[in-house]
Amino acid sequence: MLLHIPLIDTCDRKSSKDDRPNIWTNLTVHTRLLCVFLLVFAIALTPMGRWGTWAVYGVITLPILYWSHVDLQILGKRMAIESAFMSVILLGTLFRDGGEVVWQWEGIRITTQGLIVLGSVSIRALLSLLLLNILTISISVPLLLQALVTLRMPPLLVSILASMYRYMGVLTNEFNAMRRAATARNFAPRHLCDRKRDDRPWQRQVLGNMLGMLFIRTYDRGDRIYQAMLARGYQGVPTIHESAAMGWRDRIALGCLILLILFISKS
Amino acid sequence: MHHNPISIKNLSHVYPDGIRALHGIDLEIAATERVALIGANGSGKSTLLLHLNGILMPQKGEIVVGEMPLRSQNLTDIRNFVGLVFQNPDDQLFMPTVWEDVAFGPMNQGWRGKDLEVRIAEAMVSVGLDLDKYRQRQSQNLSGGEKKRVAIAGVLAMQPQILVFDEPSAQLDPRSRRQLIQLLQTLPETQLIATHDLDLVLELCDRTIVLSEGKIVYDGNTQQVLRDREFLLAHSLELPLSLSFL
Repeated sequence: MLLHIPLIDTCDRKSSKDDRPNIWTNLTVHTRLLCVFLLVFAIALTPMGRWGTWAVYGVITLPILYWSHVDLQILGKRMAIESAFMSVILLGTLFRDGGEVVWQWEGIRITTQGLIVLGSVSIRALLSLLLLNILTISISVPLLLQALVTLRMPPLLVSILASMYRYMGVLTNEFNAMRRAATARNFAPRHLCDRKRDDRPWQRQVLGNMLGMLFIRTYDRGDRIYQAMLARGYQGVPTIHESAAMGWRDRIALGCLILLILFISKS
Repeated sequence: MHHNPISIKNLSHVYPDGIRALHGIDLEIAATERVALIGANGSGKSTLLLHLNGILMPQKGEIVVGEMPLRSQNLTDIRNFVGLVFQNPDDQLFMPTVWEDVAFGPMNQGWRGKDLEVRIAEAMVSVGLDLDKYRQRQSQNLSGGEKKRVAIAGVLAMQPQILVFDEPSAQLDPRSRRQLIQLLQTLPETQLIATHDLDLVLELCDRTIVLSEGKIVYDGNTQQVLRDREFLLAHSLELPLSLSFL
């Protein structure tokens, strides 16, 4: 059902530098998914200001990063893009009341409580993003979706995720085709920032038109792809393949992780 | 007019996934020549065409278009000099109406007002489209043949000296294909036509270049190569239909 999308799926390309199996990669995909979800929940539910606890979770993340053979350059790029979005949300957490006032300007004030919230939310978000990125870079999206089915996630929900993934590929292809056609006729987005050009309003209009057309064309193509899927027997839910059963390694790994999380949260 | 508007020396291109698309291409195309570029799928035709417009830059070797070497500082001039018509007109048409799409290239060149109108009118007339009838038509609602004509008009409106076509007859019905051949015969510009339609090649081009696995394996007379069944089969091609019954 799913085609491989190179822009999103990096696991089949240069991100995997070493294919030798290890403790982490020997686990089934759904066990690895479960482990990462457990860690993300534990990180997110740790109370504010417990820096030592997050430091321990950070230490646990390091071997996962090492064993996943993730290309650090790809990981860094993804984290940088996501952090830009995250920073907008984080900024709102800074201006909280409570504790001592550290800095004040008219009605805006930064307090010690605000700094603790900012630090806590930042660490939670960064650790969670790091773990999820390691997972999505080292395992292909179709395999992750299959793992969700194995973990008894509602098939309709998996189907929506699968369609979103497919739609992103269509969007990327359409965008690249339009960009190429525009470039061939000398359209360059850098002209938008060139104050010497008197056609900037027209350039902006072109860009707006292109974005509008991109969504219309992507919708059209997505619809045609869906019809082609229906024509080959697709019934609205993804096909469920046989998945590797959980072995002793998976049970031990999950058991150890749950005990570790309980121990860390109690101490 | 330049004597050799396209000059390629030792051009090679390898895609990021390691696929070697072009290897040591040497090529000269003279002014007003109409040249066919044929080869099996994956032989490197489209990659070569994308280089001529600067969409892909040479990794190795040199391309001179007109008198301009293909470098980033010459890209604007080179794209005004070489008009690239894409295989799928849906890839090329992205403005809401036909007029806006044909105007897209000339407006990027800085044309406005009456001069722009004249350019658009000339381009649309040359591809056989009635300006008043098509002016406000939505690009996405046109037939395949009409889309192809609008795509060619959009490139002709920029008044390039070289026209590069990627599979011009793909997805066209026989009547639209015939009209396209007649149109290409009337265009005075230097033309490079990449195609699988060998009958179109026979009608339009005196010179043919055969690409195979990224290399030029033939560059010469069209009639001669298209009659050589063994050579064509060796490079995953077949005799044109019009010659196969002779």
